[in-house]
Amino acid sequence: MAQSTNISQASVSAGNQVAQFLKNYYIYFVLVGVIVVLSVANLDRYDLFERGNFLYDKNIINVLRISAPLLTLAGAFTLLMVSGYIDLSVGSAMSLSAVIYAMLAINGVPFLPAFALTVLAGVGMGLINGFLVVRLKITPVIATLITLSLYKGVALLLVQDGVSAIKSGGGLKMPVWFNSYGREAVWLGLPMAFWIAVAVTIALVVAQNRSLLGKYAAATGGNPTAAKLSGINTSKVVIWLYVLVGVSAALAGIARSSFMSLGDPLSGDGMELSAILVVLIGGTAFSGGEGRVLRSFIGALIIMALTIGMLTLVPAYYQTLVIGSALLAAAASNHLVSRKETTS
Amino acid sequence: MTDHNQSPVPSHVLAVNGLTKDYPGVRAVDNVSFSIQSGTVHCLVGENGAGKSTLVKMLTGALQPTSGSMSVNGSQYLPGNPQDARDGGIATLFQELHVVDELTVLENLTLGMERSRFGFLIKSKLEDRVVQTLYAIEPSINPSARVSTLSVAQKQIVEIARAASSGASVIIMDEPTAALSEREVERLFAVIRRLRDSAVTVVYISHKLEEIFQLGDAVTVLRDGKHIATKQLSDVAGRSELIEMMIGRSVFQDYSPRTNISDEKVLRAEGLTNSVLRDVSFHINRGEIVGFYGLVGAGKTEIARALFGADKVAGSIEFKGRPVGRSPKQAIAAGIALVPEERRTQGLFTNLSIRENIPVMNLRRLSNNGVFRASVEHDAAVDYVNRLNIATESIDKHTEKLSGGNQQKVVFAKCLFADADLLLLDEPTRGVDVGAKTEIYDIIRNLADDGNSVAIFSSELEEVLGICDRIFLLYSGSLEAEVINGTNVDAPHILNVVTGGHVGGVQ
Repeated sequence: MAQSTNISQASVSAGNQVAQFLKNYYIYFVLVGVIVVLSVANLDRYDLFERGNFLYDKNIINVLRISAPLLTLAGAFTLLMVSGYIDLSVGSAMSLSAVIYAMLAINGVPFLPAFALTVLAGVGMGLINGFLVVRLKITPVIATLITLSLYKGVALLLVQDGVSAIKSGGGLKMPVWFNSYGREAVWLGLPMAFWIAVAVTIALVVAQNRSLLGKYAAATGGNPTAAKLSGINTSKVVIWLYVLVGVSAALAGIARSSFMSLGDPLSGDGMELSAILVVLIGGTAFSGGEGRVLRSFIGALIIMALTIGMLTLVPAYYQTLVIGSALLAAAASNHLVSRKETTS
Repeated sequence: MTDHNQSPVPSHVLAVNGLTKDYPGVRAVDNVSFSIQSGTVHCLVGENGAGKSTLVKMLTGALQPTSGSMSVNGSQYLPGNPQDARDGGIATLFQELHVVDELTVLENLTLGMERSRFGFLIKSKLEDRVVQTLYAIEPSINPSARVSTLSVAQKQIVEIARAASSGASVIIMDEPTAALSEREVERLFAVIRRLRDSAVTVVYISHKLEEIFQLGDAVTVLRDGKHIATKQLSDVAGRSELIEMMIGRSVFQDYSPRTNISDEKVLRAEGLTNSVLRDVSFHINRGEIVGFYGLVGAGKTEIARALFGADKVAGSIEFKGRPVGRSPKQAIAAGIALVPEERRTQGLFTNLSIRENIPVMNLRRLSNNGVFRASVEHDAAVDYVNRLNIATESIDKHTEKLSGGNQQKVVFAKCLFADADLLLLDEPTRGVDVGAKTEIYDIIRNLADDGNSVAIFSSELEEVLGICDRIFLLYSGSLEAEVINGTNVDAPHILNVVTGGHVGGVQ
């Protein structure tokens, strides 16, 4: 008797293809949609591409400059979440890095050593997180809540003396290069900080697709037991990923403090939430295994475009609400797509 | 006792000698010695608690023996962890799958064995080799497919291919068919036979004795941690001999027609239809045990859920003359209880005690105008533990610590406490050892003799033939035929129907 075993399989993959396409590309449609809406909403006051509208060159440059810290952070944060872990201390790590970097600069340390030392501090913070989670086996959320307080505490301690941030004044002056890293155009009207974010993202896209770390992150998040039984040292993988996030947080801190021209110990506050928003909008699964660096980068652009683009449209206090709704929409559509995928 | 020492030919790929594992107060494995011939399928059988899993854990390096030794291909073998075992050429296919859904088949096959330069993956001959291995054992799986798109059976085959391509000389399979339909089992068996032909040794652990006779070359029987026998299967007289070795008492009981089934149609279902079911109609009498038999995906669980009101379904369901099927709440109130297949996750609060689990479907009975009556709860627990013979030292024992059979009995007690007179049992003996199985069947018979009706949803033919009065055969969502159980039931015909053969076609 002939038994047709392949029929059901074929129809499954046909239905899956649509769902898979939506899952892979919806984020780009969302980005285009957000830009279109923000531009059209301003049309009654301005012409397209005219000063004041969203699609005006200076505005685009401004959005991208301000986005640099979040864009820097999104990639490494995605890989960490793909491995099934999380880092709530990124905001504090960013603040502490900003303070360290500003202190070095204002005390006369040149750009490159200051930059390198700050990145090294990021490595250290990542190692501490990794150590707490992997060696002391503290639940990631708890462990990084602890370091959220610790890193922020150290940052506040470093500033002290009745001032709110490390900045020019009292005989000390920020060097000129400090501010230009985050603001001054080096290519296509965009500053160094933005291009570093792009470089980090490209490196991590390649790492996700072509490196052991990328594959092992997916294996660790997808099925930790399988990963261990395959001889993968998942502890090492996770520590590496925390270090990557630490370095990205340091780079984000450098970008933020350069842009603001000061070392603010609160400058990274709330960044952990933005980072989580961004990767979730990018379709990363909270449970691990699933998620793409590039989609998170696009997610960061969406969030930043919404945040800044809305300033001209609605009072600032609507922002959080609108972003929350956007996230809800993204999460819901993401959920529907993945549900379709599993049921079809 | 004489030792049947076979001549020490080097064809023994794996040998254990005087292997013993002690836990505080328990000797789980007691001085076990036997050897496994290269290129054979060697079955390992025994009731739950006989020491199979402890033995396997020692073979795979998850546990270290208290005393005794093991050897692989004649040389000493003492794995300290699963990685050592793999390096020693022993791979294991566990009951729970160890594949990464988010990666492709090929990525899974090479996981942990990748070649890299400066941390970046490079192409290697390894990939060609694993693809060839996969193709040799199952050509229908696409190496670039995501594992999440594969069926459970296909995922297992990916794991087997991984073990085979990592150069394992022994692959241990722990209940590999537990989640497979019969057709998938056939495919798995074909894979295992191909492995054996390529000189890989398979250690096969299963509760399903049928499979052991179909597949095995030799069998080792354990009981209470002790080695009972290692025999060529051709020397085993039949299942009754095997069962006798396993438990020392006979459990295989043929169906005996039951007399006290009333004519009252307690449940009628007409034209049940949903995304899986196609126009399913049947009725169940008071005091009757009916079976729904079909492959995985034939619609068994869907019928159970529809009768219980857990899924929306078109058509009508009447229980004791009144419509049901709208919600589980309505079903429970009418006297229908569902014992789901996944009892650990869906049927029990495993972190609560037996005493606390029994009343959860009918908490109202515990309250006296809103005041909790601990005595009712206590008495009910004691009563059911005795009546259903639940093996526990205390009614306060957490149900997660009970064996599979005893967990199942607690779930039954839960339904009985809720005054259910129609029990829907989805795969009631899955993961339950042979001894507990017989007890569960006895309980089911007693329930039916007391006037309850029972519907059993099973993918084990032996089970439905052993206990059901009437058997509905399902294929692909429709009810293909109905068989009155008796002495001359045509088992090949039943198998033919549920695998898609035409009713009344091939004899």
